[in-house]
Amino acid sequence: MELELGLAPPNDAGSCGKRRSAEAFGVKKPTLPLFLRDDDDDGDHGNGEDDTGDARDCEISMGNKRKRLVGWPPVKSAHRPRSNSHVKVKMEGVPIGRKVDLSRHASYHQLHHTLRLMFPSTSHHGDPYAVTYEDVDGDWVLVGDVPWEDFVRSAKRLKILLV
Amino acid sequence: MGRGGARDGAAAAPPWHSLPDEVLEHAFSFLPAAADRGAAAAVCHGWLGAERRSRRRLAVANCYAAAPRDAVDRFPSVRAAEVKGKPHFADFGLVPPAWGAEAAPWVAAAADGWPLLEELSFKRMVVTDECLEMIASSFRNFQVLRLVSCEGFSTAGLAAITEGCRNLRELDLQENYIEDCSSHWLSYFPESFTSLETLNFSCLEGEVNFAVLERLVSRCRNLKTLKLNNAIPLDKVASLLRKAPQLVELGTGKFSAEYHSDLFAKLEAAFAGCKSLRRLSGAWDAVPDYLPAFYCVCEGLTSLNLSYATVRGPELIKFISRCKNLQQLWVMDLIEDHGLAVVAGSCSKLQELRVFPSDPFGAGQVLLTERGLVDVSASCPMLESVLYFCGQMTNEALITIAKNRPNFTCFRLCILEPRTPDYVTRESLDAGFSAIVESCKGLRRLSVSGLLTDLVFKSIGANGNCLEMLSIAFAGNSDLGLHYILSGCKTLKKLEIRDCPFGNKPLLANAAKLETMRSLWMSSCSLTLGACRQLAEKMPRLTVEIMNDPGRTCPVESLPDDSPVETLYVYRTIAGPRSDTPDYVQIV
Repeated sequence: MELELGLAPPNDAGSCGKRRSAEAFGVKKPTLPLFLRDDDDDGDHGNGEDDTGDARDCEISMGNKRKRLVGWPPVKSAHRPRSNSHVKVKMEGVPIGRKVDLSRHASYHQLHHTLRLMFPSTSHHGDPYAVTYEDVDGDWVLVGDVPWEDFVRSAKRLKILLV
Repeated sequence: MGRGGARDGAAAAPPWHSLPDEVLEHAFSFLPAAADRGAAAAVCHGWLGAERRSRRRLAVANCYAAAPRDAVDRFPSVRAAEVKGKPHFADFGLVPPAWGAEAAPWVAAAADGWPLLEELSFKRMVVTDECLEMIASSFRNFQVLRLVSCEGFSTAGLAAITEGCRNLRELDLQENYIEDCSSHWLSYFPESFTSLETLNFSCLEGEVNFAVLERLVSRCRNLKTLKLNNAIPLDKVASLLRKAPQLVELGTGKFSAEYHSDLFAKLEAAFAGCKSLRRLSGAWDAVPDYLPAFYCVCEGLTSLNLSYATVRGPELIKFISRCKNLQQLWVMDLIEDHGLAVVAGSCSKLQELRVFPSDPFGAGQVLLTERGLVDVSASCPMLESVLYFCGQMTNEALITIAKNRPNFTCFRLCILEPRTPDYVTRESLDAGFSAIVESCKGLRRLSVSGLLTDLVFKSIGANGNCLEMLSIAFAGNSDLGLHYILSGCKTLKKLEIRDCPFGNKPLLANAAKLETMRSLWMSSCSLTLGACRQLAEKMPRLTVEIMNDPGRTCPVESLPDDSPVETLYVYRTIAGPRSDTPDYVQIV
């Protein structure tokens, strides 16, 4: 049994970590398909008890890429060259945008946590969403495909779309 | 005392336990070290009272170990306080935002109880502009503010300090995250203000008014330490140095400039005037052509921090080789093995070496191997502290290093790829690290890496008799590893572990040990909730914190005992559980 990473809305208390209950309530946890788990290890964290098919897709697509470990090697962010990493974030249907400093985050985890704090989903609870970003070429791409460090360097702005 | 024979009643010395407090307090003033004062305080009730009433310096290593008000009440005469907050692994992004460690309660308590406070230092804490405003207005003789790896404040807060602290001597900002509100904080120092001795704003990202800085530097004749930020270009550094030739420590601003011979000449002349310069640092995306401008100060340098400098090659090495009196060298792995060989030959007084990875996430070839460290360990007899990032290591190298340098007090080796074995024998590095702990009897801090089995921890547990801080990552094979550590290492204070197959049993079997330590961090290990609950129940003077992945706000009470725990942070406290946990932290 895992303490999982779904994006279940805050009032979905009954489905905590227990997939069976979630199914009983008929709530399919809106696990973000591109929610990259940076510290995912090959280990024994029950891939048999997988959350949803979506998460499995995520792991398959991750298979070819070099895994990034959060916080490894142990170098302080001060020792990494830091450019101006504030990017604008807009959410579909929300008129006022925000700004987030990507360099203050060490992983997609932490970024998603900050985004949830910035855009509390009270009006959208239960609806899955996707986070996209505009890269250096001007293309809009789903967040999570590339290693975190590469993302920080290439992301120009973010847009949260309702899926 | 032993004058033999006759007792002269009138001149008999009073027994120790009835010495007046003023005498005790005076005696204790000769004990600056906190450990000694703590020992004195434990002698008897009278000494406890005298010591605590006269304590001038207080270091709170964990802000949650005691309540601020209690600390202020207990030590009413404190003039200098240092408080540390988040766990060490927060430096590497393992602690999500809004974890806690707010400085505000400490500032508020200090404002109430220590009106004569002169020095305040916060490390890994959240310091707000309101905190800075309160500091500026609460302590009429405030002199030293040191903020290390903090966040939550802006240049507006700095303006409150510069405006309000009329006796400020030191403003030392190290590796903080500071919001730039474009407030001209530097301009708020009054024109009559001249007491500054240390000014470090190297971590500030925005511009400062250079004319104001120059005037400030000109009138503060006692300025010894000046560390500039990236926004200050090279030619401005030269003119500042001409205004402050008495500087002992300089952090240059941005050092990348196209080579211009007139700028070179200006710099060279400016440095020639700095006869007292001993410590040099800076963000040197340096053009190597400028390094010779520094040659005249090399001989006097005791500390050189090039850890932000991407300069490489023969110019770098030539420069360092002139620094014959260097005690502390921080450098990037761009120095390579042959560079370190030159350091070994030139810097015989070296005490501390730190080598950082220039490309921590890349797969690029770097020419720094174990040989560099072996050379330095062989030729620098005073070397006692090492932090070394590299791509490969052998047991033979570690054994050699251990034999060369039994005087190590701090040894931190980080092999970049987790679980890397001895690249020659393909064995684990157990033998190498065991040699280190067996040889270095005074070792206080150790970080291990590479492929390691439980056996290395047996060695560390048995031989680490002075070890105070131990960092372990991707190592060990079973519970035994953790058990060896917790049942050994008599003086262990801080233990931080990530990604090791350590489970519940050694934790519970050694629960009492945790109360003798400051804190324990375990992330991505094999712990379950039930053990954490048992630990919390068994040890009421420990706070047992569980951290889930952020975004998961599930109350921990509803989870079963066998739920895996991603992060455990345990620390001793006399203050009970904290009340400021974010939603992703639960106290069991």
